[in-house]
Amino acid sequence: MYKNPMVERLQKIGFWLLVGAIFIFTMFPFYWAFVGSLKPEQEIQSPPASYIPQNFTFDNYSGEFLDSVTGETKPKGVFTQPEFLRGLMNSAVVSGVTVVLALVAGSFAAYALGRLKFRGRTLMLYLVLAMTMFPLISILSGLFAITRELGVFGSLTSLIITYPIFTLPFTVWVLVSFFRGLPVELEQSAQVDGATPFETFYRILLPLTAPALVTTGLLAFIGAWNEYLLASTFASINVNARTVPVVIANFSGSVPRQEPVAEILAATVVVTIPLIILVLIFQRRIVEGLTAGAVKG
Amino acid sequence: MTMNAQSQADRQRDTQKPQLIAALFALLGVGILVVLVLNVGGSANINRAREAGDTGQIILEFLYSFGIIMPILMLGAGYVFVNVARKLLAKDLVTSTWATQILFWLMVFSIIGIGILLINWVGASDPESKLDVSAYPYLLIIVIIASFVFGFAWRWLSNNRNDYYEGEETLASRQSVLAWNLLLPTVLVLILIAARPLERTFIASLTDQVFAASDEDVTEFVGFQNYARLLGFRIDVMDCERDGTGGCIVDTDGEYDYMRPRDVLGDDYRDLRYRSAREYSIGESQVVLSVRDRDFFNAIENTMFFAFVTVIAELILGMIIALTVNSNFRGRGIMRAAMLVPWAVPTVISARLWEVMLLDNRAGVINDVLYHLGLGAGNTAWLANSDTQIWSLIFVDVWKTTPFMALLLLAGLQTIPSDIYEAADVDGAGKIRQFFSMTLPMLRPTIAIALVFRTLDAIRAFDVFDVLVGRQLQSIATYNQFVLVNEQEFGYASAVGVTIFVIILIFTIIYVKALGVETE
Repeated sequence: MYKNPMVERLQKIGFWLLVGAIFIFTMFPFYWAFVGSLKPEQEIQSPPASYIPQNFTFDNYSGEFLDSVTGETKPKGVFTQPEFLRGLMNSAVVSGVTVVLALVAGSFAAYALGRLKFRGRTLMLYLVLAMTMFPLISILSGLFAITRELGVFGSLTSLIITYPIFTLPFTVWVLVSFFRGLPVELEQSAQVDGATPFETFYRILLPLTAPALVTTGLLAFIGAWNEYLLASTFASINVNARTVPVVIANFSGSVPRQEPVAEILAATVVVTIPLIILVLIFQRRIVEGLTAGAVKG
Repeated sequence: MTMNAQSQADRQRDTQKPQLIAALFALLGVGILVVLVLNVGGSANINRAREAGDTGQIILEFLYSFGIIMPILMLGAGYVFVNVARKLLAKDLVTSTWATQILFWLMVFSIIGIGILLINWVGASDPESKLDVSAYPYLLIIVIIASFVFGFAWRWLSNNRNDYYEGEETLASRQSVLAWNLLLPTVLVLILIAARPLERTFIASLTDQVFAASDEDVTEFVGFQNYARLLGFRIDVMDCERDGTGGCIVDTDGEYDYMRPRDVLGDDYRDLRYRSAREYSIGESQVVLSVRDRDFFNAIENTMFFAFVTVIAELILGMIIALTVNSNFRGRGIMRAAMLVPWAVPTVISARLWEVMLLDNRAGVINDVLYHLGLGAGNTAWLANSDTQIWSLIFVDVWKTTPFMALLLLAGLQTIPSDIYEAADVDGAGKIRQFFSMTLPMLRPTIAIALVFRTLDAIRAFDVFDVLVGRQLQSIATYNQFVLVNEQEFGYASAVGVTIFVIILIFTIIYVKALGVETE
């Protein structure tokens, strides 16, 4: 169909404008955080906003300030704050352990639900689906009581044993659709060769779903890393057990009695950059994993 | 012939083994039931309630200490084990396969039990520990013996099954055994971390338990009182204040003054702490809706409004973005990554980011930009001003979730073949017509699922509310945490939790019915 080249040109310009607008819309806050973390506290808090730092400084990451009360120079900045670094470690530990557990248990369950026939299969599928929609907030009081009774309240263990509530069903659900997507001939030829169902699972199907495991593991990791409700209810009492979201929500900064806007931005940057890199590398996989449940299932 | 005679003799000696194993299962089955009864009968709390003759208290103590799920599971296990014993005596092969698996897991759990006992025992040597380990040596011996017994039985059974038991082992039964083996961890998580806390929450919601209870405070079974306090409401019609001639008094604003329920309705209203929530004036009367928990009422209003607006906004905006990005162009990967970033970053962090950007003077970017655009004086206090608060929250959530919605819709769009559009172009149908008649219907399942998940997520919103507005504007989720952690009212908070669960359940059912979501 013939299109007026002028109209086509305009459409193209319009298209790229829209794309640019979307890009700015999603990424501007991070630009702001990045730029802000390089400004001194004074500059951030005084109007008007500066879009490029006028007094470039790394203080918010690692610097010094003069304590007006004691007259000493003290370290300042996110990298000098032990609670921030500890928060990073805690989050890494909790998320890592949770993901490993979820992948192991989840791949087993997904294989059973996706490829095997047995009585009770439909019921289990419905139960897993129900668990993905489960409101954590509703069982908050029950979990509260149970973690206290087990004596793990206020420790990272409380998070490790409660996070599976949402990481496991999600993992199972995404992996089930991947397992279903594998051709049936694989199992049939394995059966002809005399393999037991478990051997079929372990040696043939599991290696094929390795990319799906990576994707699901990544999604579960992001989910566990971002979790705030349980972390703030169970672990925030003990300062040593806080995960990154809790630390950032309560960030009070190195300089006493001063709302540390610039340091908050610096902390944000530190946490966000690895996530951005991860997302950049794995974006296609992530989208596949997320939409596997929605589109096909 | 010697060989046959030899193995026959062996087999005769060994007929005891199958019987022993059957006996083991029968013992286990009966043993579980005995343990259950002993625990219940020996529970100090239950006995105390029994002496007091208080039926409600008996039920409560039972539910408290044991719940419903564990007793049912134990009864079920007892029954299953006795049945297995019976079928083993009848030499059923399929049952022996199940029996082998069960023995295997019993052995594994016994070994884990040994580990836990040892760890606790070592930890109890720490002076700070309050653990009573006097019974531990005996427990340890019992568990060690048990693990050996299970281990031997398991090994023997798995090696000699086919010789001693009769029947057909089909592929179906082998698949079944494998399936349940694989599902075991998931089932455990389901029971221990999901079902039991839910049960616990529900039971607690029927009590008046508080956390900071002193020794004299006994938790009482109060039935649905918590729910009455949470959800109680009444509707009354108030008359206007009348002057001597029977006409309505007009106040300085030119409007009628109405009687207040507090003054008119008496002790009932006041004792139950009703407070007016909504008022509608119709001429000389005013209809007043009063609720017993106004904070909860506000939380529900806030949450529903938030959910409604965000879901619709995200759907429409997401659709627009998806349609735009739905084509191959250079930099597509980067665009997708850019769209994923708001989703990947913890909500808490995004919230604090926006908190900084919404500063109430021109140091805040939003104010500054609006000022430059000539829309405002650059000093709106977005988060403190009660008119703009909810919109700020909505905006942050839309920022965070629209890209994600767009990606979902995009994936759906890409399953639609492009030839039908070409055909429609040939037929002369305009783009807009194409969208509404072709694209939308084909996207229905994707939109349905996206709607369901987004609505449920929005109703559960916690992070944005907690970080940006805290106690000033509560969602039902932050209200729940507030009652639990700050006011330490365990029973009441549990009632809130159950109510939220029911709300979500209702929405889910409505969606599934209305949108015909398929979950084969």
